[in-house]
Amino acid sequence: MIANILLVAKREFRQVTATKSFWLTLLLVPIALAIGPLVGDKLQDDTATKVMIVDQTGGGVARTIEDSFTINEDRALLVRLSRYVQRHDFDKADPQAVWAQHDRWYTNADVASFRAAGGLKAALAKIDTVRPEGVPAFDAPTPDYSFLPPPAGLTEAPADTIGTQAKQLTQAKGGDDKKAAADIVLLIGKGFPQDPTVSLWSNDRPRSSFVIQLQQVLTQAMRGSLLQQQGVSPQAAVAIETAAPAIAVSTPPPGGGAREAMLVRSIVPLALAYILMMSLMLSGSWMLQGSVEERSNKLLESVLACISPEELMYGKLLGALTIGLSMVAVWLGCAAFAAYATHGAIADMIRPALAPLTSPGAIIALIYFFAMGYLAISIIFVAIGAMSDSMREAQGYLMPVMLAVLLPITMLIQAVLAGNNGIMVQVLTWVPLWTPFAVLARLGIGIETWELIGSGVVLAIFVALEVVFLGRLFRASLLAQGQKLGLKQIVGRLKAAPR
Amino acid sequence: MAVLEVDALTKRFDEVVAVDNLSFAVQPGEIFGFLGGNGAGKTTTLRMVLDIIRPTSGRISVLGAAPDRRQAAAIGFLPEERGLYDNMTAIDTIVYFARLKQMDGGEARKHGMELLERFDLASRAKSKIGEMSKGMAQKVQLATALVNHPQLLMLDEPFSGLDPVNQGLLEEEILRASKRGAAVIFSTHVMQHAERLCDRLLLLRKGAKRFEGTLDEARAELPAAIEAIAKEDIIRVAGIASAEPKEQLDGEWRRWSIRLDPGVSAGEVLERCTTSGVALRRFEEQRANLHDVFVQLVGGEENR
Repeated sequence: MIANILLVAKREFRQVTATKSFWLTLLLVPIALAIGPLVGDKLQDDTATKVMIVDQTGGGVARTIEDSFTINEDRALLVRLSRYVQRHDFDKADPQAVWAQHDRWYTNADVASFRAAGGLKAALAKIDTVRPEGVPAFDAPTPDYSFLPPPAGLTEAPADTIGTQAKQLTQAKGGDDKKAAADIVLLIGKGFPQDPTVSLWSNDRPRSSFVIQLQQVLTQAMRGSLLQQQGVSPQAAVAIETAAPAIAVSTPPPGGGAREAMLVRSIVPLALAYILMMSLMLSGSWMLQGSVEERSNKLLESVLACISPEELMYGKLLGALTIGLSMVAVWLGCAAFAAYATHGAIADMIRPALAPLTSPGAIIALIYFFAMGYLAISIIFVAIGAMSDSMREAQGYLMPVMLAVLLPITMLIQAVLAGNNGIMVQVLTWVPLWTPFAVLARLGIGIETWELIGSGVVLAIFVALEVVFLGRLFRASLLAQGQKLGLKQIVGRLKAAPR
Repeated sequence: MAVLEVDALTKRFDEVVAVDNLSFAVQPGEIFGFLGGNGAGKTTTLRMVLDIIRPTSGRISVLGAAPDRRQAAAIGFLPEERGLYDNMTAIDTIVYFARLKQMDGGEARKHGMELLERFDLASRAKSKIGEMSKGMAQKVQLATALVNHPQLLMLDEPFSGLDPVNQGLLEEEILRASKRGAAVIFSTHVMQHAERLCDRLLLLRKGAKRFEGTLDEARAELPAAIEAIAKEDIIRVAGIASAEPKEQLDGEWRRWSIRLDPGVSAGEVLERCTTSGVALRRFEEQRANLHDVFVQLVGGEENR
């Protein structure tokens, strides 16, 4: 029996691997995954928003706004640099540097100190002295905003013509240079701050963070002016306006934060659930084509004269499982090669992601649920193949099955990514059709041992029942060609049909 | 020992009786014709012998044991509905089926190539089935049935779809298998093939056996007819049931169509004509052929 099952499995495997679609799919997936981030980077708009401030008060307000935004940009840069230094333990490059102090929210004074020490360029020069080969260089973020001077004469122009010109400046030009001169034009009127009206023209809805910060700066300016009118000295007014608490910040090292850690730990389990889903859909459709071909080519009788329907079914399942595992092996091999080719940079990043899979129990659970998931869904494909005389007929059965399997899984992956371990995830864990996906996805965020064992037992029982009932359906359908198949007939075949 | 023994075999599909209390046996080296109209139960019987479907009642013995896939090594089967894997080559197809019948891969390839040589397909051994003509693919399928040197060769409507040349080739293979001692059982609608090849025949009607025996015994099922040219005194010869004048010839001579009493042979009547002085210009026995027997015994069959 085993020899016949292996022969059928080998033939199924060879038939699928002889098709062009198999090799295209096998290679396209890693290529798409490799190209995806690159294309994403290209498509990402990383140019700074161009801001033009028309300050009719003499230029002081425009400078204040610009200073405020550049300080915030440098603060964000400092935070990112600090996380990079902490992740790679580069504090020793300059333990006194502000970027080597990770336990507080950087104040304006810290930013000023960073600038005074030579800014990013000087910091990277120091870091490079301790950065070993293979560790990626610091990737500095692009500033969100760049500030441009207004065209000559615009500041002095009458208020009613400034609006027209501002609209023209924010409109995209024709010809080769299609970009607008400015994304945002801001008009600070002569009467500011007594007249608080500030006009803004934008070629798109301005980011709320921009508007909030702008409002904050202008509010400070207005309040400072009011304080001075009340007799408070300019220095005191500035001190009052810029008074802020010193917030000490304590965070786990990069990759160790609760949500971040959960996401990192979920990467590999979620990827496995996704790979299971993809490889099942692909190998399932090939297996279906093979089964339909056997029926439409009328060669089943020849095969069944040599082997039993059970041997044929088990051989097909084993063939499908081998195809799926081969695809997964190739994809994982590509990932390993990518990790090696990037001098361990990827490996360094995914090391925390592999943490959930370090125990033998987790590895056994992973293999068990992956293989059982494959069997549970593949049996359905095999049964559909046995019932269908043509691919068109097979698609009719396949569509509802695919929807039933895939829709909850996409919701499940989103729920796990959002850190949601709620009722839907719990329910999907115990419904055998989705158990493998739910358990694989949850291995990262944590699953109770009793749930793991319980759902594994339920899944095993489900697969056993599938083998019995869908095995009957398979056997009864094999030679029943050209018969109209309704629900009654399917139920009839699911029962213990005599041969 | 019979290679195949079927005893009181019955198969029901719900209310339909596909095979009804059927019994027969096929001996080694024997070519056994399995004749019947559409839906007579031929294919169902063969499927039960192969254990593809199980009988409702009755007993089947293949090489002394109940039907089982473990006997696949001793059986060659060519189904009525032909088909092979389009993407497999001819030789790989033969080897695949041989290995499913527990044959060694190397031996299967060697004998497979011999068969392809015999079928004039050696040059197409590595061609894919999908690239072959229908006739070529049918010969490859015949090779899959023969590759394991079967002791029981079962061919379901083997001549359908074959051109006269390939029909001749198939007849040769059937005779070759019989000569090496295999029991060959084949179903057919074409009576000429059965007349040429079969040692014994079985006629089925609606699942039930209507006749089993040799070709001569089958012909004897219908009363013999005699065409004679004689004078009117022939009607008085003992053993003649009826004599119908067909044509008036010169003088008193007439052409007669004569039917004999049951159990009376043409030779006896001829002898009585001679001894009693009945003059004869012509006396020709017209024996029933298998087609007539088939139509008589199976005719009027309704499709299941």
